[in-house]
Amino acid sequence: MRRVAVIGVGVTKFGLHDRTSAELFAEAAQDALTDAGVPATAIQALYYGNVVGGETEHQLHTGPQAASVLGIPAVPTTRFETACASSHAAFRHAVMEIAAGVSDVVLVGGAERVLNVSTAESTEYFAYASDAVWEQPLGLTFPGVFALIARAHMEKYGTTEAQMAAVAVKNHRHGALNPKAQFQKQITIDQVLRSAYVADPLKLYDCCPFSDGGAALVLASEEVARRHRKPVWVLGSAAASDWMLLGDKRDLSRVPATERAAAAAYRQAGVGPRDVDVVELHDCFTIAEIVATEGLGLFEPGAGGRAAEAGRTSLGGEIPVNPSGGLKAKGHPIGATGAAQIAEIVTQIRGEAGPRQVDGAKTGLTHTLGGNTATVLVSLFGRD
Amino acid sequence: LAATESPITARAFFERVRAGQLTALKCGSCGELAIPPRQLCPACHAKAWQPVDLRGEGTIASFTIIRVAPRAHAGDTPYALAVVKLREGVSILGRLVDIPLEKVSVGLPVRFRPLVIGNQPTVGFGPS
Repeated sequence: MRRVAVIGVGVTKFGLHDRTSAELFAEAAQDALTDAGVPATAIQALYYGNVVGGETEHQLHTGPQAASVLGIPAVPTTRFETACASSHAAFRHAVMEIAAGVSDVVLVGGAERVLNVSTAESTEYFAYASDAVWEQPLGLTFPGVFALIARAHMEKYGTTEAQMAAVAVKNHRHGALNPKAQFQKQITIDQVLRSAYVADPLKLYDCCPFSDGGAALVLASEEVARRHRKPVWVLGSAAASDWMLLGDKRDLSRVPATERAAAAAYRQAGVGPRDVDVVELHDCFTIAEIVATEGLGLFEPGAGGRAAEAGRTSLGGEIPVNPSGGLKAKGHPIGATGAAQIAEIVTQIRGEAGPRQVDGAKTGLTHTLGGNTATVLVSLFGRD
Repeated sequence: LAATESPITARAFFERVRAGQLTALKCGSCGELAIPPRQLCPACHAKAWQPVDLRGEGTIASFTIIRVAPRAHAGDTPYALAVVKLREGVSILGRLVDIPLEKVSVGLPVRFRPLVIGNQPTVGFGPS
């Protein structure tokens, strides 16, 4: 298998936009191509993530749509849908296409538009990623899924609402340093704890926002990447799945797909959790960050809440998590999120993250979770 | 029964729910229990399912109170959902009924209650 590098990244500002998801992707892709210093004619394939385009934009066939709007209509495209992990799944398959020697330069990315519909509508569409026969008829929502996880974690380990609030406060502090973030303002523990319950024990400020946005990455084979100024190498990329039904998950306080994907990615990369300098992980809800830090092996099971409260995951702490502001503050355009997390880690490893730079970051990890924890992708990145 | 069919389809399961009965699949090869529909036993990969009636008694493993609902359920808020661990060992998500929201807790014993939400039969749990 050939080595693969990320040689270009581009991300739109996340938040409210009056453009289609294809237009948002095209802006990010243009920035990624400029960053890579390769012409659009070099692109041999597009791997694309988009989730609810069929519902919010009445748009299927979003792969060729995105390629057409970018202006590369002839390249083969494939659209990936693994709920909120879609563009991370797209990334993993693009890595395999280059590693296998099929292509030398591949464009990866994703985009989502949801703020053109009401919160009640988007809540319904996101719930489509849970089981339509068993769970949707009960009125299950995504905050509801993670509220069930939060309650189980609190019961088993004594995790507190204040510890979850500490995740939100930390990610907003980081997001205030990111000009692309949807929320660039700091918040306090009191504001989180006083916000209204959405799905007990999760409150409004425990939840990431609905967002529009796009992200893109240019991937290249080693031969092409060697001509680039700062290639960031893909050290490993792994996916794992778990049961769809919440009732079938054996222990709601854990996410086995995170543990499996992390083990496979660490094995591919030949590194362990202690070797990682910076992490972008899937904090769709504050409890999701706590459980992910445990599943990735950064902390023991049950220790994630205390670690967040003690500042161990802050910029300047022992293992900075979500320096971009995470999904919580940067925003979560679901089809774009995986690619946007990778763009942040590449920027960190290049040493180009400005005020949110993790000093000396050499090895980085991205973790993206799909929907009801039934899909997880983990990738590892490093420099020469 | 065709060899490629699960002995209990999703539709058949919910028809039994409407009639007041929770049903599981028991593997005739290794004894694993599963909630239908399921083709292969995840434990031994045999296809030897037999339907078994569940007693419908269990305890709350985790719960939440939904206050922001999808459109179709907006008129129901606030409502409680719980993952219930049944006495036989399998777990199911259900809507809690006739239990005051402030009384809901992990470990609370509950009993299966057939529900119809928006014309669809679905799983509910009430006081034991």
